[in-house]
Amino acid sequence: MRQTPLFDEHRALGGKIVDFTGWALPVQFAGILNEHEHTRAKASLFDCSHMGEFCIKGERGIQAYDALVTMNAAGLAVGRARYGFLLTEGGGIIDDLVAMRVAEDELFVVTNAGPLERVATLFAGRVPGLRDVSDETAKIDIQGPLSREILVRIGLPVASDLRYFGLFRAEWEGHTLLVSRTGYTGELGYELFMPNDLAVHLWRTLLRHPDVAPAGLGARDTLRLEMGYSLSGQDFDDTRSPLEASQEAFVDWSKEFTGRAALEKQRERGAFSVLTAIRADSRRAPRHGFEVYKEDDAVGLVTSGTYGPSVGCGIGLAYLPQELAKPGTALATGPRRFEIETTQLPFYRNGTCRN
Amino acid sequence: MDFPEGLRYTRQHEWIRDDGANVYTVGITEHATGQLGDVTYVELPEVGMELDQGKAAGAVESVKAASDVYAPIGGHVSEVNGELESRPELVNQSPYDEGWFFKIADGNLRDFNKLMDAKAYALYVEGLDE
Repeated sequence: MRQTPLFDEHRALGGKIVDFTGWALPVQFAGILNEHEHTRAKASLFDCSHMGEFCIKGERGIQAYDALVTMNAAGLAVGRARYGFLLTEGGGIIDDLVAMRVAEDELFVVTNAGPLERVATLFAGRVPGLRDVSDETAKIDIQGPLSREILVRIGLPVASDLRYFGLFRAEWEGHTLLVSRTGYTGELGYELFMPNDLAVHLWRTLLRHPDVAPAGLGARDTLRLEMGYSLSGQDFDDTRSPLEASQEAFVDWSKEFTGRAALEKQRERGAFSVLTAIRADSRRAPRHGFEVYKEDDAVGLVTSGTYGPSVGCGIGLAYLPQELAKPGTALATGPRRFEIETTQLPFYRNGTCRN
Repeated sequence: MDFPEGLRYTRQHEWIRDDGANVYTVGITEHATGQLGDVTYVELPEVGMELDQGKAAGAVESVKAASDVYAPIGGHVSEVNGELESRPELVNQSPYDEGWFFKIADGNLRDFNKLMDAKAYALYVEGLDE
């Protein structure tokens, strides 16, 4: 397994290490429920150094990148970020990504660890001025309502008017960091990108604050699912389009992107299953791979599911035929066929990410 | 890890205690709760349900996983720990006391005596970790 620059820190903090797409990462420290609550109430640190990052320099490169992905990256203002997808010609999702305009002539692109090689290969031949900086970049997410005041306290000057999906370059202890107000928890939070050799020092400095605790992949998953955020490779992959994944909001139809023709055809044809929010009436959790039933018929498949600690019931995402996807449809799931109902996202409505 | 003396244990990590008068209390071991992590849901059998040794009598779920709970011995369910429905965390906090699952009446004493004692179970768990 590959290790991030923070691997020894995780071990020293008692992190339970698991294999996540080939990376040795902590699934939990104090316990998933504890870390989940701590993130909603205070602030948690997540090591996301396994993720992929690319630097694109120059107008030609930015235009070339823009022509591949579903979000309008060329039209991004400096200091703003957008979420979108890289698709196959057939419209399937290779990966989701965030494009950040760090300067007039520079984009910073964040992708997932799993499909990184495939994404890198695809970009390499087509995007001039592109550099894969994944191996030299560490990423620490600080997430939770106290995130901003904690960053200010350690000397990172985060303006209170930096909006959701805003970003800036900051100097800290002689190094340059990229700070973006983004995250995967629904809470106010920031993603900090830095050179590998700064990660341990920043991690330890943040942890010295009494309201900061480390959190693992387990809490990251319950937090993101309560917001209904999809997980690339689990809730969608290259067999699902953004239309099926209920992500059309992140497809900019005013521009070109790979897979556009296939998406147009699919939209015209209709009759595809869509990723839908489901909720149990008990604490019982839908699980990845569970079938969904309408009376006796198997009608769909759960891609993510868990007990939602902040909502107090089982929650999940499932692919369902459109006629069953409208909120309030009574269904059942799992080998024991317990009752669920379709609902609307997010499951958790008190997140602070847009405050 | 704590495996109290006097209890008997199964390979599926249930514990069972002889309460006398042919009544037995069942729960899951500290090893099981450690593997599961935070317990979020417990499914209990119905009172009066007939149990066959080794058959599923309930289920336990955590954030990470779900697994069945099996009857360590035959008998019938005389009482369940309804407190677990609203406070499943008791299974983690107090696996051998407040986190008990259900009681078996008319339990089969011969089945009981064949189960592992604390020492045998500790050795069994040690073997699993290797």
